[in-house]
Amino acid sequence: MMLASMLLLMPTALPVAQEPTRDPVGRATVYRFDTIETLDGEALKNVTMLVRDGIIERMGQAVVVPDNAEVHDYRGTGKVAMPPFALTHADFLHSDRRGGGRNARFLAADSLWLAEDWANDLLEEGILMVGIDPPGNGMPGRTSVLLADDQVGVPNPLVADLHLKVDVKGSSSSKRLVRDGLKAADKAIKNEEKAKADWEKARADWEAAQKKKAEEAEAAKKKGEKPAAAQDGNGKGKDDKEPPKEFTAPKMDPNIEPLVDWVRKERVAQIWLGSAADWLHWQDLLGERELPYQIVLRHGNSQNFHEVVDQIAATGLRVDVAAGISYLPYTRTRVNLPAELKAAGVEKMILSPRSTNLTGIQSFRLSVAQVVAAGLDRDIALRGMTLEPAASMGQEELIAPLAVGAPATFVIWSGDPLDPMTEAMQVLSEGEVLYDRVKAEKEEQR
Amino acid sequence: MKNLTRFLLMAAAVWALQVPLAAASFAPQDPPPEPEPVPEVEEPEEEIIEEVIEEPVVVDQEPGDEEVAEEEVVEEVVEEEVEEEDPNAVDPNSPYLAIYGGDIHTVTDGVIRRGIVLCKNDRILKVGKKIRIPKGARRIDAHGMQVYPGLVGVDTSGIVKGRGTSLRDDFDPYALNLDLGLAGGLTIVQTGNAMAKLARGTLDGVLVGQTGWVNLGYSSTSPGGRRQLRESMRKVRDYMREVRSWETDKAMGEDVGEEPSSKGINGGHLALLQGKAMARFNANSLKDLLSVCDFLEEYPMQSVIFGGQEAWACAGRLGRVGAQMVITPRAKAWADQTLNAPSGWSIENAKILWEHGVPFSILPQERWITTGGLAGRDMLTLPMEAAFAIRGGLPQDAALRALTLDAAKILGVEDLVGSVEPGKDADLIICDGDLFHYRTFVQWSVVNGKMVYDKEAAPYFAHIRPRQVASFEEVMEEIERAITETDEEVGLTDVAEAPAIDAPEEVADSE
Repeated sequence: MMLASMLLLMPTALPVAQEPTRDPVGRATVYRFDTIETLDGEALKNVTMLVRDGIIERMGQAVVVPDNAEVHDYRGTGKVAMPPFALTHADFLHSDRRGGGRNARFLAADSLWLAEDWANDLLEEGILMVGIDPPGNGMPGRTSVLLADDQVGVPNPLVADLHLKVDVKGSSSSKRLVRDGLKAADKAIKNEEKAKADWEKARADWEAAQKKKAEEAEAAKKKGEKPAAAQDGNGKGKDDKEPPKEFTAPKMDPNIEPLVDWVRKERVAQIWLGSAADWLHWQDLLGERELPYQIVLRHGNSQNFHEVVDQIAATGLRVDVAAGISYLPYTRTRVNLPAELKAAGVEKMILSPRSTNLTGIQSFRLSVAQVVAAGLDRDIALRGMTLEPAASMGQEELIAPLAVGAPATFVIWSGDPLDPMTEAMQVLSEGEVLYDRVKAEKEEQR
Repeated sequence: MKNLTRFLLMAAAVWALQVPLAAASFAPQDPPPEPEPVPEVEEPEEEIIEEVIEEPVVVDQEPGDEEVAEEEVVEEVVEEEVEEEDPNAVDPNSPYLAIYGGDIHTVTDGVIRRGIVLCKNDRILKVGKKIRIPKGARRIDAHGMQVYPGLVGVDTSGIVKGRGTSLRDDFDPYALNLDLGLAGGLTIVQTGNAMAKLARGTLDGVLVGQTGWVNLGYSSTSPGGRRQLRESMRKVRDYMREVRSWETDKAMGEDVGEEPSSKGINGGHLALLQGKAMARFNANSLKDLLSVCDFLEEYPMQSVIFGGQEAWACAGRLGRVGAQMVITPRAKAWADQTLNAPSGWSIENAKILWEHGVPFSILPQERWITTGGLAGRDMLTLPMEAAFAIRGGLPQDAALRALTLDAAKILGVEDLVGSVEPGKDADLIICDGDLFHYRTFVQWSVVNGKMVYDKEAAPYFAHIRPRQVASFEEVMEEIERAITETDEEVGLTDVAEAPAIDAPEEVADSE
């Protein structure tokens, strides 16, 4: 009797299962986890996720499992599901060493240097998406985005032309390059505006002349006279040459064109800074201008961004910061820059590995764990490795919080993702398994 | 005996209660150094309390119109008192900065004991003992401290990043070396041909100017170079004479034709003889120094000589040719015993130069801030180099002058920095003891009227003898301990019979 009562009461005691968002069509896959880090609030415990057609159809503690569903029950294993990592800088994937200067015409994706198993290298670390950027100071080119899908060795940029990279790190020459670049962009815009004004005037003059001529011809016709307009030997007036119907902008230096887009606020720039001083120099360069930009803090020799965290936070912009604890030189003072940025009010933070080579990427989670242990909010850290970098690359729909209706794009970790002993067991993109550690290891053994 | 000891110690306690004490002050084995007696401004002794009364007044006066402002001040006092605003409220954005209670080493006008330096924006507005502090002014309580003008670094390297006109674009206002320079007391340095303020946290107000130095090689090791220089200078002098003659004739209306051509004339050498630039020599040996003196006698010009290890042996001649020196008191050199003349290094070098009226500045062996090698001989501890000159007999005020006003003169910025005077740049350092004592730390640095270094806030030396205000209980505890120790020394152990320690109010009343 008691058991019957419990069974009757159970549906009300458990959370109500989410309503399906679509009619069931394909075969469902069901995952059961001890923990899902949805990154949209608190982690869910003892939860079932039903995936159909690459979309999370239901998620909760009481999800009805369809009869024909493929069920992966990871309960009791400590496995954790979480959206995959996205890195904004993975410089080891490209070969461009042409260096800085004013080379905004270059695209990082044009110089890919992909090893055969480049995608596996990333997926092994739970990384699905990476940004690559051209090296060098000044304006060395534009950034691109790659997806670590299963197209092994094939350059397949998800986005070839994303942000303009502007590096003002540490020298007056970089600053001069950017200052001169902005001046050149202003000049190009001015030239184009002048050319357009000239064209509009020529067009208006020509149309007025044509109209006048037509009126005169009409009047003459009425009077039975010959038209009085000046004519050349061919019987055409000098005003007869028609300006082009469409305005063609003057040809622009390809190194300036991306800057012009930026000045016109049609493009976002990544501003790379190496020290607190660089921030002041960037503000000095910016002056009264309003330009769209993101901030990338990459420590150089001076690990002193903490001096300007308040100013950076006041911009309200997303900040890309290398994860790590640093000591002020010759002192016992430790600086946890991500935590200081958060304390200053930076809400959108991207965490990047200190070193953007493969080794640096492989120790990324450990660095983040240290930063979290030293005071950075864990949720901010996890979002800073996943959702925020994806959003900065315009891919917020691809790597999104795990919720009903969202793509089933997640990593199955063997434990807490910030535990260095934890491994990425599987990486799924829209329900499709891109990487399976067990399979991969078996293949390696073969 | 016992009661007398108690009385003396209690009197010390009463004094101690009125001033903040550094913890280090209690260290019995090494009391804080007192500055060497220097000419003091004759001002009536007053209670500290009176000196630092902060009137709830907004003083908006520029140097030069103080008298008018004084009248306005009195009127406004009444108005503000009616409103009963907190007179001690500090506005962090106030243009005023008041440093009060410290001994002010003005360099040009002796020492003002427990005085006030009032700065407005980036300049010093007033210096004295009785100055009204405007309402809201930022303040530094410098009781028990020594206030000096910021030190001037001649020919430094690497303390600020950047050189020349691009200095602003290269400047790192948060650089480690800049911080350490401030901790070492520097507030302005020459770097390359530029003069830069150690303006922390800003790119503005950094570049002060450019030195107009022309390097002249005039060494005994290069007779050819000497000959060429003299030849060039002769040409320049002839050219200048021609031009002067041409101008005179032209002024008299004569047909003078074209102006004499400057073709083949060295522009730098011309600037030197025209007095528009300063010659820089490097000379250490007596032989070289005397040669430079010969040259300067033949071609008088503004000059600065770096090195001067044997300058003490020809200080009189150096003084007569008007040379300025930059010396390193600890840089030693062997005497040349084949010479029938004084030679070699002397600890008295600086003192003898000073006695002969040769202005000089002091440079440590390493003209940058280094983290390698031996500590104590780079720009982080510039006063230590000068302290060695003091050891050799140089008066302390002359040593201070060498690091401030005379250094500023060598750089041509003496109108801006180098002393604590109204109208000069508000570049000051506040030290917890005599500048030339090894224990002394810079507690605060002010550059362009802004506090840019606070030992307690910076991570470098905060933990070494932290600055703190002693509580009444701490002072009394210390006094009691001292009494006990003294009693034990003189064989009186019955401390229980000692009169009770006065409460703070009673101490104040009895005082």
